[in-house]
Amino acid sequence: MQPGQGRLVVMWGHLALLAVIAGVVVAYWMDARATSLKVNNLLLVQPASVLALMLVALVVPQCFKRTVPGADEEVPAESLSDLGKVAALAACFGAFTTTLEIVGFDVATFLFMIAALFICGERRWWLNLSFSAAFTMLLIYGYGALIPFPFPLTVL
Amino acid sequence: MIDFNSVGGAFSLLTSDWSAWIYLIPGLIIGLFFGAMPGISITMAMAIFLPMTLYMDFLPAIIFLTSIYTGAGFGGSVPAVLMNIPGTSSAVATTFDGYPMARSGQHNKALGIALASSVIGTLSSYILLFVLIAPISRVVLKMGPLELFFVAAWGLMLLGSLAGRSLARGLLAGVFGVLLGTVGMNTAGFIRGTMGVPWLLDGIPTIPAMMGLLAASQLLGLINTTYLVEDEASRKISFRQIVSGLRQAISYPAIILRGAVIGILVGAIPGVGSSISNLLSYSETKRNAPDGDTFGQGNPKGVIAAEAANSSSEGGAMATMLALGIPGGGATAILLAAFAMHNIVGGPSFIGHNKDIVYAIIFSNFAQAVLLLMVGLGFVYIAGYVVRVPLRYLIPTILVVSTFGSYAIDGTSSGPITLFVFSLLGWAMVRYGYPVAATVVGLLLGGLLESNLLRTYQVSGGDPAYALERPGALLILAIMVVSVTITAVSKARRRAGDAAVGQQKPAPKA
Repeated sequence: MQPGQGRLVVMWGHLALLAVIAGVVVAYWMDARATSLKVNNLLLVQPASVLALMLVALVVPQCFKRTVPGADEEVPAESLSDLGKVAALAACFGAFTTTLEIVGFDVATFLFMIAALFICGERRWWLNLSFSAAFTMLLIYGYGALIPFPFPLTVL
Repeated sequence: MIDFNSVGGAFSLLTSDWSAWIYLIPGLIIGLFFGAMPGISITMAMAIFLPMTLYMDFLPAIIFLTSIYTGAGFGGSVPAVLMNIPGTSSAVATTFDGYPMARSGQHNKALGIALASSVIGTLSSYILLFVLIAPISRVVLKMGPLELFFVAAWGLMLLGSLAGRSLARGLLAGVFGVLLGTVGMNTAGFIRGTMGVPWLLDGIPTIPAMMGLLAASQLLGLINTTYLVEDEASRKISFRQIVSGLRQAISYPAIILRGAVIGILVGAIPGVGSSISNLLSYSETKRNAPDGDTFGQGNPKGVIAAEAANSSSEGGAMATMLALGIPGGGATAILLAAFAMHNIVGGPSFIGHNKDIVYAIIFSNFAQAVLLLMVGLGFVYIAGYVVRVPLRYLIPTILVVSTFGSYAIDGTSSGPITLFVFSLLGWAMVRYGYPVAATVVGLLLGGLLESNLLRTYQVSGGDPAYALERPGALLILAIMVVSVTITAVSKARRRAGDAAVGQQKPAPKA
């Protein structure tokens, strides 16, 4: 292939991931340096941070691809609706994990199960509701009997 | 090395009191069940049943607890194979090839392989322990921070073999994991990266982070798939396939033996244990295998190497616990607590005066390994039905069970929140071709690397010549260098061979 041929594709998602990694590394490194500049503090963190940022710089060019029609594409090819489902499930999961203790494990689990089953493709409401209720009860009483910590509950 | 009078005493102890035997199978079943539940660790399973042992005699109590230990050691590999969830850190390497095998419809075989490798690993570790308990305890006492650092560095070498298509992305994933593994308070008392969150003082919770990176991230990505195994014909639960997996594992004695030796040696080191041994064994097997390139895509040898090592670590950890009274991890700490509950102090004096009891514990573990084969066969047969559950039900249920498991670790929201954050990170990393396993390894070893590097720096005063005073560390370093060199040479030869074959082939027609 001649240089300059093909369409330039920017993998924005990959760039965003690298930005997150670089951001976390820089923030951690700066926080460690702000804590203390002593060797006992920075012995591993500083060289590892520098190495991580060098590796990020090495990977950044991989986010820009020239593609030719028919060539194997490295760019992920899910449809927007597929990505939407992932985003919806991730959002529900985030809400579930962060509100468990506030709304109670029983209510949070029941609501998450209903929403997640629907997102994953279960359209029969009677089955969705009955499975979610049965599974919530089983988990609350079954898991609750095994672990040494009580689950905060609202209804059960 | 073997005291035959004590061996005779052990036999009479075990044959005169049948109460020692009746707890074997219940212990194994409890262990299998708890080990297979994500988030419930071996330690937690043993801790829950520890109070029960107060009403037992000493030997039955210890045999009951070690049966739970053995059962849970294998139980963790069931969710690792079927759902990519390492129930414990010792099952991380099992997911690398076990889960791809399950996804390609070889779940029966993968479970059979894991079971056989675990059984043989446990058996060989106790045989080695039977012979080597005295010399091992002498070596363990001589290990310093530099040796421990090199052992952890050896584990980190796995990052190279997990790199996948892009070495830079593999290394970045690993180094990022190492950095995350050092968050919190280090051994010198410096607090970094906690963002004011109190539970991050102890570092990022490892088990929820692992579950998020390896399992929850995959589940998010599977949302548009109908079944774990897409081919309907491959979804069958076949006892014959499980047995063929057992046979396949036996056909690789060298991998099992290597795993058992790595497992017992690394397992004997306090604080290191099975979480590193399975990774080391996996990386060494991958390095030496002619088909090393297919590791990570469902190569049975990967499952054998990981399972042989993590189950044999139990023998190593028991060696340190029995000979020195030092618990290598949570499970052996519970065993020591059981010793204390019966007014017995573990350590050199115990082994010196009660060799018959030590040998009786070892013999009962032989029996546990054999019984595990039978109980485990039934267990994996039932567990295999997971592949027949539609993913629209499996995804939400596993996410919820993982969340409950992550909460169960310390009873706070730290686990569920960590699980969520790392599932998003893992999903993005998988999407763009980063090996999340490298991040997991880095996360596991980051703290260990830093604390031992720091201790070495403090002991040596920053003088590199200190390494020359530590022949053990130099020996580990030499083994690492030799193993890497041999691998590099054999890889180069293989590439040269492939190139020669490629040149001899006629050019494909356009």
